[in-house]
Amino acid sequence: MKLAETYRAASAGVSRFLWSSSVQRVKMLALGQQANEGWGARLIIYFLLSIIAYLYLQPLFYIISTMFKNLNDLLDPTVKWIPRELDFSNLRTAWRGLHYPQAFVHTLTIAFVCSAIQVAVCAMTGYALARLTFPGRGLVTFLVILTFLVPPQITIIPLYVIYSKLGLLDTPFVFIVPALFGQGVRSALFIIIFRQFFRTLPATLEEAAKLDGASAFRLFSRIMLPLARSACLVVFLFSFIWYWNLYYEPSMFLRDHYLPLSISLDRLQEVLTGVPAGGGGEALRKIDPISESPKMAAAFLIIFPPLVLYMFMQRWFVEGIERTGLVE
Amino acid sequence: MKETKQRHKGFLRSRLKQYGVGYLFILPWAIGFGALIAFPLGWSFFMSFHKVVATTGGFSYDFVGLQNFKDAFVKDNVFPIQLIEYVQEMLLMIPIIVIFSLLVSLLLNQRFPGRFLFRAVFFLPVIFATGQVLTELFAQNAGEIPFMDQYNLEPIVQKYVGEGLAQPVLSVLGKTVIILWYSGVQILIYIAGYQTIPKSVYEAVRIDGATPWDSFWKITLPATLPFISLNTLYTIVDLFTFPMNPVLEHVRKNMFKPDTGYGYSSALAWIYFAFIFVLLAIVLRLFSSSAKRRGGRA
Repeated sequence: MKLAETYRAASAGVSRFLWSSSVQRVKMLALGQQANEGWGARLIIYFLLSIIAYLYLQPLFYIISTMFKNLNDLLDPTVKWIPRELDFSNLRTAWRGLHYPQAFVHTLTIAFVCSAIQVAVCAMTGYALARLTFPGRGLVTFLVILTFLVPPQITIIPLYVIYSKLGLLDTPFVFIVPALFGQGVRSALFIIIFRQFFRTLPATLEEAAKLDGASAFRLFSRIMLPLARSACLVVFLFSFIWYWNLYYEPSMFLRDHYLPLSISLDRLQEVLTGVPAGGGGEALRKIDPISESPKMAAAFLIIFPPLVLYMFMQRWFVEGIERTGLVE
Repeated sequence: MKETKQRHKGFLRSRLKQYGVGYLFILPWAIGFGALIAFPLGWSFFMSFHKVVATTGGFSYDFVGLQNFKDAFVKDNVFPIQLIEYVQEMLLMIPIIVIFSLLVSLLLNQRFPGRFLFRAVFFLPVIFATGQVLTELFAQNAGEIPFMDQYNLEPIVQKYVGEGLAQPVLSVLGKTVIILWYSGVQILIYIAGYQTIPKSVYEAVRIDGATPWDSFWKITLPATLPFISLNTLYTIVDLFTFPMNPVLEHVRKNMFKPDTGYGYSSALAWIYFAFIFVLLAIVLRLFSSSAKRRGGRA
């Protein structure tokens, strides 16, 4: 009785051991010692990433494919991705409808100038929060985070009044002035990024600068800022793209003369069909097949410049993000 | 005696100089905060207690007390429903986005050939997931993934989730692409976060015989916790200031309605802001308490 029990227990143990070791061997082969070494794991990673990448790229494909479709292709359900003939007239229509050269210059001016200013001002503020001591630093940090949480809708009417009193409406200065004072688009986020970055630098830098008799501003502009190159790049790119795509604030502040691309796109419907878009772009509009292709062409024209910028900068961008240590 | 006094004075002076430099660096931001955030915020708070009528010379204010806030819940038949629906939707979307971006960032953090290409693709939505282009895409239904119709998911969802929750769940499923696209920045933050974990730790546990599975749960995840909380906060802010947000659209509409005006729309915006704030506070509490339990830093 006892013997049988022991035998059973032992055999269960042996079989468990054999089973687990063979599983281990298969696992080793498929997964490798580390998660990324085995061919099985790699295959799974590629598979998953490819599916997700397709979902990510699908809207871009949709824009490009629809852009070249003429009305026949658009209404024909058998034409899904590749149009029968490339129709460039949509691009021409969109170019004219957006007043592309003019709107492009406006958007570029706003995005470039504001981003450059934001890099400088946010770096300064972030540096102060990270490395300079003064009473109230904690409070300022808290307030910076708070500004990130304030929805723009709360302050938009008072701001409108302030800007109109200052005569800034319908000029690019309506965006340049807030950027100058550290209140541009998502400035708070950038300040926090810079703060986190400057905190990672060694304290010996300041000591060395002090021994050499350098002033705080010299230290900042000659040593700290060059060290923060990667953080600057990340902030500049983010800021540029967010200014480029900005819609809500321009729709309030730039209504007549200084139209950026996002507002032109909103008004394209009106240009194409003669029917006013009505209210704002936030409401989903009725779709009519005639304006579908030109609108996608317009969308392409709008995202093309930042896309090119991103392609050139992407290597540094990705590396920069890894190196900034956005947060600790 | 005299000497120490003098030294003390010198110390004080250098201290003050140090503070001065700090304040000088902060100055532009402080001016901006006062003029462009604090003042407008105070003004809109003031307006939310008034009936504001725009006249040719400016605004005329008529004190109504809490009437605007009361109206928002009692009289307005759109706002409370939209608010609750949107908050429900967000509560579903936030964890999905945070977890999805965690998974993708884990995959992208592996070392494999072609990683650069994939990374480039995953950061792409940051470029055009904001603004008008996205709105146009959604107007043409290009933002939806066709599986909803293909597999006829609607009745299934209704059957299993129940009538009450079906609407938000369906609407979240319809927004799969938004979930994917709004994960761009979060993925970046996670990847940046992984770089803070030293490689030697992984090597050490590997020598101790830990499997990749173990090292994920025991090392990667605890070290990522602060980034998860950061991403949750970022996602909340991002979604609540989202361009196609129905609540904000309602606020905007009320601004230009003659019978409601700025006062009422300010009250709506403040209610909305309060909701976000409460949600953020809860999330912060949750994360800081879980960090404390672990004895680590948040």
